[in-house]
Amino acid sequence: MSAKVQLFLCILTLAGFLSVPGTRAAGGLPDTVWEQLASEDDHQILAAIGVLINNHDDGVYRLLIGLYESRLYIYEERSEQSGLVIGGESETNDDGDEMIPLESAYPNAVLLTDDAGAPLRIDSFDLIPVETNREIRAAIEAYRMRLDLTHQDPAVRIQASESLARSGKLSVLPILREAGQIDKNQEVRRAIELAILRLQLQSKDSLDRFMAAEGLQEHNAIDLLPAIAVRLNPESEQYEQDQRVRERMKEASISLGNWRRIADISQMAFFGLSLGSVLILMALGLAIIYGLLGVINMAHGEFMMLGAYTAYVVYLIFSRLPVEYAELSFWAAFPLAFCLAGLIGVLVEALIIRRLYDRPLESLLATWGLGLILIQGARVIFGDNVNRPAPDFLTGGLEILPGVVLAYNRLFIIALTVFMIVGMFVLLYRTNLGLRIRAVTQNRAMSACLGIRTRNIDRTAFFLGTGIAGVAGCALTLIGNIVPNMGQNYIVDSFLVVVAGGVGKLIGTVVAGLAIGLTSKIAEPVMGAVFAKVFLLGLIVLFLQVRPTGLFPAKGRHADQ
Amino acid sequence: MSAHNLTHDTSQRTRAIIWACLFCFLLIGMPALNLAGIVSDSMLSQWGRYCCFAIAALGVDLVWGYTGMLSLCQAFFFCLGGYAMGMHLILMTGSEGAYGSALPDFMVWNQVTELPFFWKPFYHPALAIILGLTVPAVFAGIFGYLVFRSRVRGVYFAIITQALALAMWLTFNRNEMMLGGTNGLTDFKEIFGFRLSGDPEVVAATGRWLYLATVVILGGAYMLCRKLVNGKMGKVMIAIRDSEHRLRFTGYPIVNYKVFAFVVAATLAGLGGMLYVPQMGIITPSKMSVSASIELIVLVAVGGRSSLLGAVIGALLVKACYSEMTSRIPEAWPFFLGGAFIVIVLFLPNGLVGLLSRQKKGESPA
Amino acid sequence: MNPLLYVEDLSVSFDGFKALDLGSFEVEQGELRVVIGPNGAGKSTLMDLICGKTKSTTGRIVMDGKDLTTMTEKQIVDHGVGRKFQNPNVFGSLSVYDNLALAHKARKGVFASLFNCYGTDAKNSIDGILERIGLQDAQTRIAEYLSHGQKQWLEIGMVLAQKPRLLLIDEPAAGMSDEETERTGELLTSLQGDHTIIVIEHDMGFVRQIAKTVSVLVEGKLLTEGPMEEVQNDKRVIECYLGSDFEEEGAA
Repeated sequence: MSAKVQLFLCILTLAGFLSVPGTRAAGGLPDTVWEQLASEDDHQILAAIGVLINNHDDGVYRLLIGLYESRLYIYEERSEQSGLVIGGESETNDDGDEMIPLESAYPNAVLLTDDAGAPLRIDSFDLIPVETNREIRAAIEAYRMRLDLTHQDPAVRIQASESLARSGKLSVLPILREAGQIDKNQEVRRAIELAILRLQLQSKDSLDRFMAAEGLQEHNAIDLLPAIAVRLNPESEQYEQDQRVRERMKEASISLGNWRRIADISQMAFFGLSLGSVLILMALGLAIIYGLLGVINMAHGEFMMLGAYTAYVVYLIFSRLPVEYAELSFWAAFPLAFCLAGLIGVLVEALIIRRLYDRPLESLLATWGLGLILIQGARVIFGDNVNRPAPDFLTGGLEILPGVVLAYNRLFIIALTVFMIVGMFVLLYRTNLGLRIRAVTQNRAMSACLGIRTRNIDRTAFFLGTGIAGVAGCALTLIGNIVPNMGQNYIVDSFLVVVAGGVGKLIGTVVAGLAIGLTSKIAEPVMGAVFAKVFLLGLIVLFLQVRPTGLFPAKGRHADQ
Repeated sequence: MSAHNLTHDTSQRTRAIIWACLFCFLLIGMPALNLAGIVSDSMLSQWGRYCCFAIAALGVDLVWGYTGMLSLCQAFFFCLGGYAMGMHLILMTGSEGAYGSALPDFMVWNQVTELPFFWKPFYHPALAIILGLTVPAVFAGIFGYLVFRSRVRGVYFAIITQALALAMWLTFNRNEMMLGGTNGLTDFKEIFGFRLSGDPEVVAATGRWLYLATVVILGGAYMLCRKLVNGKMGKVMIAIRDSEHRLRFTGYPIVNYKVFAFVVAATLAGLGGMLYVPQMGIITPSKMSVSASIELIVLVAVGGRSSLLGAVIGALLVKACYSEMTSRIPEAWPFFLGGAFIVIVLFLPNGLVGLLSRQKKGESPA
Repeated sequence: MNPLLYVEDLSVSFDGFKALDLGSFEVEQGELRVVIGPNGAGKSTLMDLICGKTKSTTGRIVMDGKDLTTMTEKQIVDHGVGRKFQNPNVFGSLSVYDNLALAHKARKGVFASLFNCYGTDAKNSIDGILERIGLQDAQTRIAEYLSHGQKQWLEIGMVLAQKPRLLLIDEPAAGMSDEETERTGELLTSLQGDHTIIVIEHDMGFVRQIAKTVSVLVEGKLLTEGPMEEVQNDKRVIECYLGSDFEEEGAA
């Protein structure tokens, strides 16, 4: 199911990318064009190309691409348009001949049929290909580039300028300059500018290269740092010969290097923040249950997994509805995951946990067993690996600095985390229920004496805690696949968040979550993911030497009884 | 709270009898059945491996059952011992390996030209054995000291040890550690001069000796632990479990006692691991995963916590169930294991052995 | 006579709340001192500070020339302080005898426990304590199944077995029947002289039975101190007790 949708999305984007705006209604082209194209004379063909380009529309585009790819043929049996046709994918028949299906050349692709109405297939030997040469291909290429550079979708324009820069052909510089002048979109202008600079860097003229270095520095084009570095490397073939240019490049490279560092750090901070958010999302639920009942719910990761599968099932159901509802499925999944995970949580509390109050280690083991069952259950029902595609509005990212892209899906998770923290804060500190939860957390017996139904509070806390895990699972589908044991990836880290944060205060979970997320992401590039984890654990053990009860411990006479 | 009357004479005697029967069966019965051809060689070696887990389970019982500390990294200590033995065995392979080099095969594969320094002591069999016991002990000592000193206990201790297990599992999976990465150490040829590969008759004979050695060591470990828990040490351990608070203000250095229990348990786990590797023929990091450690807990939980006999029975029983079930219906094992955890914890807090001792009626809620 | 224990400018705060602020407080050698005061007056906190459970924010607690605030719990125990907690706190799965034997003053290191069971003089001393707390017939029983009052006595017995010079006894009569309370009173009075004892109690009848000198703590400060009759008639004390609901005090 999901594969189908992915394919569909893929086709959508592809179609958007290739579609060319019909700048002119498909009118008649002068008949001379057909004669010129069929003339087998390069000059005539070039002239025809000129006319065609001036009469650009979708049909012209198709025709010229056909010509460029040597798929334009003269089929002498056909009278219209001088017998010009576009050939499709050839097939070899039983006799070993290459048979080609034919389409009309212009304006639309109409499959030619024989008298009986069956598709016409012609032996390639019976067709005369319209020959192209370098000049013709260059003309069409330039047409194509200009077309892409003036495409209505800015993304296509950016892509086009980048591919031009990669081509390394200095000949395209004029086209780029022209496009740069007329473009109204700032991002596209920047992309074109960079493409020009990149090409200029390879210019034979040392002044051009000098200007390129200057320009790159001005634009903080850190992506192009390697292009400069290779010119500063004496071993390299592209070593810059001109002393002055070299100096300028050095300066640019230093400045860009600094930018790169800033970009790297901000990227790292972003990833750390993002990881921290996930950990906080998970630890929030853990902490509230632990704070209230002293129970570490080892199946917490599995409640998260339940949330993820809820999102998947919701997506499956909505995918039977019209496409407009696709986005709705994304939003609907969150409350559903919250409720489902929460309800199962309440059930588990009633059946298992409540029999084990005052025996926290036993409930830890029992919930581990439960987690095992849930994982295996999910594996039996859903198989090993499914995937819910992220909604369109969360694909891509926000470029805050050149080279620093904040992916929307991660931003969304951060925002969701902030929302949950604020929600939790309001619930705990601004509502009557929150007051009662905090009261029971601090002194169960006294709260019971004051008429608080502690059983109900426990149940509510379990509902909240596991529900939040469900929401976390829902959010995790944005950054990873849905697998039965997905909860295991984060669970140990989120336990550590609870340990390092201390219980009793929301802020502890938040600060510890962020600290652990950031530390991991800072340590990872230095020592690799595995040793970063070992390092982090060491750090936490050492931290507990100084602050045995975590960052924000509960204080007072009852604190450690 | 659970009730176990430790001074209850009749149950004490019943347990002693059961232990004697079980031990005699393992030591004499099984080999006899093997010689009679009723128990196959591979079955014997399987039971030998169960006994290795029973040794580790004794340690789990000391820390969890008696002292009340839920350590979720015992499988890591088991593997430390296992790796020590594995390293020795692989060095003894000499140039018999696939590449004909004096270096272990995986090092040749990874283009290592010289034996890393920390491998060298393992050439010597006695040194390898000593290291297999002391490395886990020292590791547990240092880690335990740091953790207990900062009064990390209860579920926090479980979490920290779980994180340790995870971190170490990840570490041992890395090729840079020069311990064979994910594939671990395997393809052993001989142990202390006895062949582990080649002529099936000879290998079977080695297997029998290994089995006997394991059972004897299990017996020794059991007696040692019994001496420990029946003396003052055992009382202090139980006191830590019942009320660490009270014991601290009674003047006991709690940290030292906890470190002691943790170190003994780690050593027992290492011992089990050392005996396990030659009988299994392979050691990989998967044996030290977080769930492997928790599975060690289930051995004790099923048999009966704070009963050494329970630890041994639980280990043999659960492991036997495991191989039965995974060979018949592998998908069902996680359901069974998870379900066993829940049922035992809810309805049989003292495990199967707990059924032996008549519980006093009217458990006081205080 | 020199005081066994004195306190100088002792204070402790939890999250900015000053739980205790004691300018000076002294206990004489061999004295039985009762500390009373309403809920949250800082009585238990004072004991927590003396036995090292809570660390003070400022000030000193000096016993026999040593500052207890700089010592660990174990060092304080070794220095001769024994503490009985408010809720009975015994080793539930061990027998009464084992409970006392563990508490018995002996070398308590790991190696001592490994190689010898209990000290040689332990038996006599423990039998003596069993008699004193009236649990001779219950010595093989598992502590968990004792009655509430018996647990309280057992814990007092365990503190006695430590042979401390200073006993800190937190609400020994809480939850006891009248008869049990009276026996507890007799037990405590019989101990004074040989031991220095600080008792926290709410039960005024019990306080009257055992107290010679009473200290009154209110809101973390020492309100007054003196013989029972004097304190009982002190206007401020009456005000502070009658001002709040007396029944509630008993519940804590």
